[in-house]
Amino acid sequence: MRTIMADDLLHLLTWLSPAFPTGGFAYSHGLEYAVEARDVTDGAMLREWIGALLRYGAGRTDAILLRHAYRADDLPRIAAFAAACAPTRELAAETLNQGTAFVAAAKPWLPPDLAAVLAAIGPIAYPVAVGALAGATGTDQEATTIAYLHAWCATLVLAGVRLIPLGQSAGLAVQAALEPIIRAIAEQTRGAELDDIAACCIAADIGSMRHETQYTRLFRS
Amino acid sequence: MKRSNGSADRSLIVGSVPDRFFVRQSCAQRAVGHIRLSVRLRDQTTVLDRLHQSGPLRLRVVRSEPDTATTAILLNTGGGIAGGDLNQIDITAAPGTALTLSSQGAERIYRAGIGDLPSRITTRIAIGAAATLEYLPQETILFDNAALNRSLRIDLAGSARYLGIESLIFGRAAMGETIAALDLTDTVELHRDNELVFRDSLKPPRDFATAQTHRAMFGGASAIATILLAAPDAAAHLDAVREAVGVNDVAITAGASAWNGLLLVRLLAHTGAALRVASLRVLSVLRQDRPMPRVWGC
Repeated sequence: MRTIMADDLLHLLTWLSPAFPTGGFAYSHGLEYAVEARDVTDGAMLREWIGALLRYGAGRTDAILLRHAYRADDLPRIAAFAAACAPTRELAAETLNQGTAFVAAAKPWLPPDLAAVLAAIGPIAYPVAVGALAGATGTDQEATTIAYLHAWCATLVLAGVRLIPLGQSAGLAVQAALEPIIRAIAEQTRGAELDDIAACCIAADIGSMRHETQYTRLFRS
Repeated sequence: MKRSNGSADRSLIVGSVPDRFFVRQSCAQRAVGHIRLSVRLRDQTTVLDRLHQSGPLRLRVVRSEPDTATTAILLNTGGGIAGGDLNQIDITAAPGTALTLSSQGAERIYRAGIGDLPSRITTRIAIGAAATLEYLPQETILFDNAALNRSLRIDLAGSARYLGIESLIFGRAAMGETIAALDLTDTVELHRDNELVFRDSLKPPRDFATAQTHRAMFGGASAIATILLAAPDAAAHLDAVREAVGVNDVAITAGASAWNGLLLVRLLAHTGAALRVASLRVLSVLRQDRPMPRVWGC
């Protein structure tokens, strides 16, 4: 990857920090059910689970959506496409709530014309919101994609640490092991078309559906 | 074919279905099939408006009996799909009509030959205002090394209602068939008043065996079904559907969710037979116990 400019780094460290108020800590992307169903019981299984979602699920999908929103050719269409890609009610809420919260929190960085376009769209998928802001501010697209996928994984790893539960260092080992996958997905999604969006995490989707009626829940997805 | 008294079977094909061959040679000549059907309302009854059929695809329209929708049965006289076959199906249901589509039997997607392009099945369904269309084809059986690009696009006008099932069987487990490699893209897009509201595209990695055993992907299943209902009252059926799929059955993993005028059910099963039983349970709830088209054999 090329050298990142200081401005890019300053933007991304803030926007994709866990402290940025998107409410990401409240979502587990169905992991809470997977832990309950004992499909994920340790660090190795957590790595496998998140790795599959990165390669064949929301990770890859979001990276493609982010890249298209970055170019902002027709943002309302990309936003509608992104919203249509959600496979369950909770996963739709997960991405739309975070995206909408992201736009609200990003006000200090938001150029007025983009703010107007986003206001007309209303609820917006998280990767589309991030991609649109990065594009409008000239923040490097590759760096943004990597930072987004990193933050997305970090949220899930943290959810896994709380749910399984795992020790802090076991969680960090999972995060470290996901780095090559993050790089590979960023690489593979460069130049991908919206029509290339496809997934294969059927069991995880079913887990998200079943999470809706899970008896004890810490997470909203 | 058995008929109940009084129903006029408006059979549009002559002759019987040729025997299906379990292994079709990859042929240089690919088959190109096309069906174009439209139905309209006449005296409160859904009737055939136009039908065009070419290549190996045929369609038989069974006129409605009281309490049943007019039913159209798709038939592939080619005995399966392989070698870059192209099938296109266009269905238009005019406002106020009710149409049920099904297929004569399971569709088979055979091993692709070296250098073959993926076969394509492209289905477009347009449903007019206040019309109801049920798309209930039987299973699609994929053989090892099959290559298929299938797409289904549904266009709903206003309060139109769509109920569809698509089932894939990855090798016939009962016959000891497994899938090592696969080239599959299976996409569904649903538009309501020209706006995309749902898109689901399944593309397993080519190394299918790995995906099949992965707990986040197929979880060991060898058959899957997706049932989609798009209707203003879709969410009202969620509890009943959940009850239907929540039955404690070790051969099935299933879930249901409803949002945005949609109800989506996903099923994973260890066998095609278990998938069929569970799917029929869900369809029975969503179809208010009306009988399935006779071709389903139930």
